[in-house]
Parts: sequence; structure tokens; C-alpha cells
Amino acid sequence: MKIECRPAFSDEEKEILQEIMNIAFGNATADLAELIDIYVELNAPSIQVLGIGDLPDYLIRRMKLHTETSIVAQNFWGDFKGSSILVLPNRSGRSLIAILDDDEMNDFSMKPVAGQEKEVLMEVGNILIGACVGKVCELLNTFVTYTPPQVILRNSDEYSAFIESFDPSQTAIIMETVFRFQKIDINGLLLLITNQEAIEWLQKALHHFMEPYE
Amino acid sequence: MASESPASFYGTLRMIFAQIFDMVNVGIVILDKELKVYKWNRWMEIHSKISAQEIIGASVFDFFPNLKNPRFLRNVKSVLTFGNFAFFSQKLHKYIFPFKANNSLGTDFKHMRQSCTMGPLRDENNRIQYVYIMVQDVTDVAAYEQKLIEMSIKDGLTGVYNRGFLENRLAEDFERHKRYMRPLSIIMQDIDFFKRINDTYSHPCGDYVLKNFASLIVSTIRKVDIFARYGGEEFCCVLPETGIESAKKLAEHLRKKIENEIFRFNETEIKITISQGVAELKKETVSGEELLRRADDALYEAKETGRNKVVGK
Repeated sequence: MKIECRPAFSDEEKEILQEIMNIAFGNATADLAELIDIYVELNAPSIQVLGIGDLPDYLIRRMKLHTETSIVAQNFWGDFKGSSILVLPNRSGRSLIAILDDDEMNDFSMKPVAGQEKEVLMEVGNILIGACVGKVCELLNTFVTYTPPQVILRNSDEYSAFIESFDPSQTAIIMETVFRFQKIDINGLLLLITNQEAIEWLQKALHHFMEPYE
Repeated sequence: MASESPASFYGTLRMIFAQIFDMVNVGIVILDKELKVYKWNRWMEIHSKISAQEIIGASVFDFFPNLKNPRFLRNVKSVLTFGNFAFFSQKLHKYIFPFKANNSLGTDFKHMRQSCTMGPLRDENNRIQYVYIMVQDVTDVAAYEQKLIEMSIKDGLTGVYNRGFLENRLAEDFERHKRYMRPLSIIMQDIDFFKRINDTYSHPCGDYVLKNFASLIVSTIRKVDIFARYGGEEFCCVLPETGIESAKKLAEHLRKKIENEIFRFNETEIKITISQGVAELKKETVSGEELLRRADDALYEAKETGRNKVVGK
């Protein structure tokens, strides 16, 4: 374990980040409901600092919430950069259709089931991840661009490739929250994982955020 | 290098970007917050046959009412509200703008398949003022994909379904029919003494017979029936909602039709007959494979007891 290359992320910084996430996720849920008619409840987020090498085990532990899960992953980059992962119980794609309320979705019977589920997962994942990351960015006075969302099924080659895409020598800050869709009672897990390059920037941005209060 | 004044530097840059905007092989549309068109590049002009002059300032819905759907609106809102990016892949959405497809590779898509990205554009204060949509023509990719799917489920010689597809479909049909206790039958068919055709008249002639035999069957059975080449000169019909008596009747009809058909390859006239085994889904049947096996046993019996006949089990 290369502890020496891990920049310290102090308890104070963790607290500030925690506070920023509370505000950001609160704003995100409010805007999602008001503007996009997606009603979610986000629990108070928690923050962990981990070696990326420990991440696969951590994910497996966290995802044991459900025996089979679907993952929507999306990378974002800018000053603030990293990956976001949305973990949902398997086959929740179908139930999510209910919250989208589309006429267009009615021709679903025409398309193969796996395709429909993927479609809904990607769309909901993209909006939810974008809302949360976007609001954090807004508070930190920056913005990011996103890669297309990717639906990854556990026990697939895609999952192994996804896990292997992390550089184990680096440090990650994991911001995690449990959320629940109100209408359909589905719980999920949202993780934002920053990579090493972004940590230094994040520390500065956090202090900058606190300046007016200090 | 001679130093340029900032004004002329930015002037040049603007000029360059304006040209690139119209040169790229990608559609670029910029909408303001009211979803009125602010910019419309050459690519969009060419494919939509709507000039920038015509559309700029107008609501995008005036020209593309199909966009007034919850999904498009939801994504625009998430771009404007959160600075989100939205992705419309051809796999899921086929297209955003209904443009005519340039059909290569013998496909017949009614519309150009598009992969589109939507994202925010900000002013100097980082406030989102516009939404951009980039449109990529991916009709070729969609066509390759369609061809690949076809190749993976169809038999190259006869154009009917292959064994892999048959087995998957039979497994699905088996589950469905068993659950709802609906009748389901299959017919296994084998062309009698097919090896002789190959040996006597050559392989191209054998191939010709196989192809024409298959199209004759396809033109006789219903659209809902699945007809597949099981291997060599062995074929299989899956008949949903059909009991054994109707299946046997159909098999007998096919037997006569084939017996009376003359296959003409160049100057040679060839006559063939087929043996068929029919089996029906029963309460105690446990799988699609078992059904296939029973039909195969019946076919074997038909072969053993004189050929050119139908045996039902």
C-alpha cells in the first residue's frame, strides 16, 4: 500500500464536503421534482477516503444490498473529475418506466425487453447523476462534461472491465448516498468517486467555498 | 511572428470557427432557453432542406413537432437546469430529426439513424444560456448491425432461420404455451435420398433444390410459424396454437405439394419427396428439446417405414 502518495484529506475537509453534498443533493431533489417530475429522496450522504485498490471490494460489499444489481456508470471531467455509479436492484428498469410517464414508452412491447430496461436505466441514471454532480459543481463554482452513461450488469465482462479501469495506486474520495424513488419504492445507491488528480483541486475549492464564512 | 492585436486575433478565430461550424460532417443546432433556434449549421440545412434563414428565430417545435414529447423536454430541462449532457443513441431512439436515410448496404430505413448529444452552453458568467444538439449520421452502423443480426439467425444458403434461432424460439414458445396451456406442435422434415441428388446432379444442383424447397414451404405455412434449417437436408416447422391433428394435416398437405413439384435446375428436372415427423406439446413434456426429440423419433419411423410419409407422435 503506497500510503505516502495519498494526499491528506483532513476531517475538516471531509466535513465541508459533507455539507456541500447535503446542500447539493437537497437542491438536486428539489429541482428534479419541480422541473422534471422525478421524485426522489436522497439520504444524508457519507464520505469515505479509500485507496482505489480497495474500491472493488468496497463496491462488492455495498452492492450486497441486492443479490443481483444493475449499474449505471458515467464519467465526468473538468476541474472536478471522476466516475459516478448508480446501483439499482436488478430488473428495476421496468418499474422505472412508471416514473417517466412517456407515451412513447407505450410502444415498448415492440422492442426486446433487455433493450427497454437498458433504455430506462440509462435515461434515469443520466438525469440523476447529472443532477447530483451538477449541483455539487455549482456550489464549487465549476462545471464538468460527461461521457455517455453505460449500463453494466454484474457478473459480466463489462463489469470486470469497469473495475479494471481504475488505477489501484490512486486514492479515491467516495461520496455515497442511498436514494429512494417515491412513486415506486425502489432503493438505490449513488456513488461519486473522484480520482487523484481532482483531489488537490477539490481541497482548494472546498476552502474557497468556506472563505465567506471564515 | 508579428504580434496580432487581441481584436484581430479574436476576429480571425471567429472567422475560423464560423467556417468549421459549417464544414463539419455533423449536424449542429443551438437552441435558446425558449427552444427557439439560434444556430443551424450547413449539415442541418442540407439534410433537413430547411435553410438557416428560415428556421433561425423560430421555435424548433414549429418545424419538428415530433420533438414535443416528454423525453425530449425532460432532457432539455435537465441540460438547462443541471448542465447535464443528454445522449440519444440510435439503438434506443433511432433518430431525433426525421431526415431521409441514405440507404447503403441494401437496408431500407425510412429515416436516417442518428446518434445525438445534447449539452449546455454557458455565458462568461458560467450561466447556461443555450442548449446545443449534435447530430451524427450512424445509418451505416445501424445497417451493419442489422446485417449482423440477420446473419446470426438465418441460414446462409436458404435464407430461412438457422438451428440456433429455432432452438431459442422453441424454448420461448415452449414456456409460453405450457404456461397458458395452449397447443403447440412441430414438424421435422427430411428430404428423401437427398445425397443422390448431390451425387447424381452435382452440389450446386443440390443447393438449388434446398433453396427452392425452403421457399416453397415458407410460402405455404402461416406467418406466425417458424421454419428453420435444422442441418443438412433436415428442416423444422414450429407451429404455435396448433394441435397435432392440424399439424398432421399441414404436413400431409406439404408432402403432396413437394411430391408434385418439379424442380428445374438448368435443363434437369428433379422430383423429390419428404418424410415428416410430427409431435405435439403434452402436459408431461418437460422441454422444447424433448418435443424436438419426439418429432425426430417420428421422422425416423417415417423413414424406416417407407419414406414420403407423415408420422405423428
